[in-house]
Amino acid sequence: MIVVDDLTKKYGATTAVDRLSFSVAPGRVTGFLGPNGSGKSTTMRCMIGLDRATSGTTLFDGRPYAHLRQPLVEVGALLDAGNAHVGRTARNHLRWIAASNGLPARRVDETLEMVGLQQVAKKRVGQFSLGMKQRLGIAAVMLGDPRVVILDEPANGLDPEGIRWIREILKDLANQGRSVLVSSHLLAEMAMIADDLVVIGRGRLVDQCTVNEFIDRHATKWVTVRSPDLDRLIELARATGLVPERVGDGVEFHGVDSSVVGELAAAHGLVLHQLASQTGSLEDAFLRVTADSVEYHGDSESKR
Amino acid sequence: MISTIRSEWIKLRSVRSNLVMMGVALFAPIAIVLLTVSFMELSSVSDVTIAELLAGSGTFSIMMLGVVGVLSVTQEYSQGTIRITLAATPKRLRVHLAKMAVVVGVAAVIMAIVLLVGRLAGSAILDSRGFGGSLGYDGEGAVYGALLVTAMVVAVLGCAAGTVTRNPPGAISALLLWPLVVESIVGGVLGVLIDGWKQDWMPFQTGLNGVLVSTHDLEFGRWGSIGYFSLWVAALSLLAVRLLRRRDA
Repeated sequence: MIVVDDLTKKYGATTAVDRLSFSVAPGRVTGFLGPNGSGKSTTMRCMIGLDRATSGTTLFDGRPYAHLRQPLVEVGALLDAGNAHVGRTARNHLRWIAASNGLPARRVDETLEMVGLQQVAKKRVGQFSLGMKQRLGIAAVMLGDPRVVILDEPANGLDPEGIRWIREILKDLANQGRSVLVSSHLLAEMAMIADDLVVIGRGRLVDQCTVNEFIDRHATKWVTVRSPDLDRLIELARATGLVPERVGDGVEFHGVDSSVVGELAAAHGLVLHQLASQTGSLEDAFLRVTADSVEYHGDSESKR
Repeated sequence: MISTIRSEWIKLRSVRSNLVMMGVALFAPIAIVLLTVSFMELSSVSDVTIAELLAGSGTFSIMMLGVVGVLSVTQEYSQGTIRITLAATPKRLRVHLAKMAVVVGVAAVIMAIVLLVGRLAGSAILDSRGFGGSLGYDGEGAVYGALLVTAMVVAVLGCAAGTVTRNPPGAISALLLWPLVVESIVGGVLGVLIDGWKQDWMPFQTGLNGVLVSTHDLEFGRWGSIGYFSLWVAALSLLAVRLLRRRDA
């Protein structure tokens, strides 16, 4: 269990993380979402003491990171897959990490096999692709078989097979009862992986809930209707104050429940071929909820 | 602490550039001594010849061991591994002490081998060339002891300089240029400005002078010079630890 309480990180006059509080439950994958520059990576660094928090605490099963006797057994963190000496072999990279926490050398070979890098264990990290470095980073995380796993953008640079692999690993880790906190920009992927979400914007908590709750609360909802009496339905809808929007051979109603449209049609004896409630995706919900928190817009976005 | 030292030792010996620097620190002074005694005029050989050669070439080795100390720290920053190091060992003082212990150990072993091989093989070569005189003198052990201690102190200095600058070229440049250029210039300027100023108050040059065969001209003597230099290195190390503990990784 991770409990982040009132965490604040300031760089001079800039507040990167602003009184952020959230928790990560065991046995669940918690997605950590936020626009670029929202403070996700800073938060993760503060959580494990790499950056000094200006105020606030992070507790891992009730203890601050600095008090963990064998940190790698408690918390495995991958913040940047590029954090490996290019001149060192994959095996030696894991050896020094394992040695630092007194972990047995066999864990090096076990984790290399687990991530599928045993064939290239004696190759220098400089010869690795980004995907291979991600796998090496995951191996380093798993050296201590930790109860808590923190990953910052673990799917970066992975091919589709690699992305599926990381998805399965994360789900397995959560199923084994570990607390998993993972940030990612791949929102469709996050929708498949995560059970819970922590969403931040400009360093502040925007929402913490399950993925389904988040979509339900923040995504666009609309009703799609197909009918042989479409013009009549549109006319009746406008007369009752609804705002129908013709899309192809159907019509959409935003901001109303499907029962309202269904009852309107029934009251006037109109035949309906389709009456469907629609909900936007996680991406839709995320973009809506963080619209005010995005610091850097592209032209097409800023014109919306 | 033992785990952290073991980890640092694996780090140091698993990167080729570190091994090259350690190899240069080991073999270059031995080669200089052995080549010199192989070809020098026997008439110019005296009982202090080997000690003088080892003091000169050993100083080169000392600087290379300082660079090893720098690299042991700055590589972590240039390659980003410092974040893994400090996540694995949140007690930052322990990390710095472990790095110091490893580079001090490496410096001691390399310098001991340089002195042992240089002294024994140098004597053997001169004997084989027909030099019949003595190759030892009373103060010889002090020179070798000073070389050994200074190598360890400069290795600690390398760690401290690396931690303060976090930048390989910057720290290496500072380490090499400080005694050769900066202290000469600063000392010269201070000599003009301050009445009674002594160049022996410049710490790095004074520390390196402590390994000379003849130390009659030194303000603080052999061990006083090395001790004075060590105090400055200790102060820089304290600053380094303070910065390491305060800075974001």
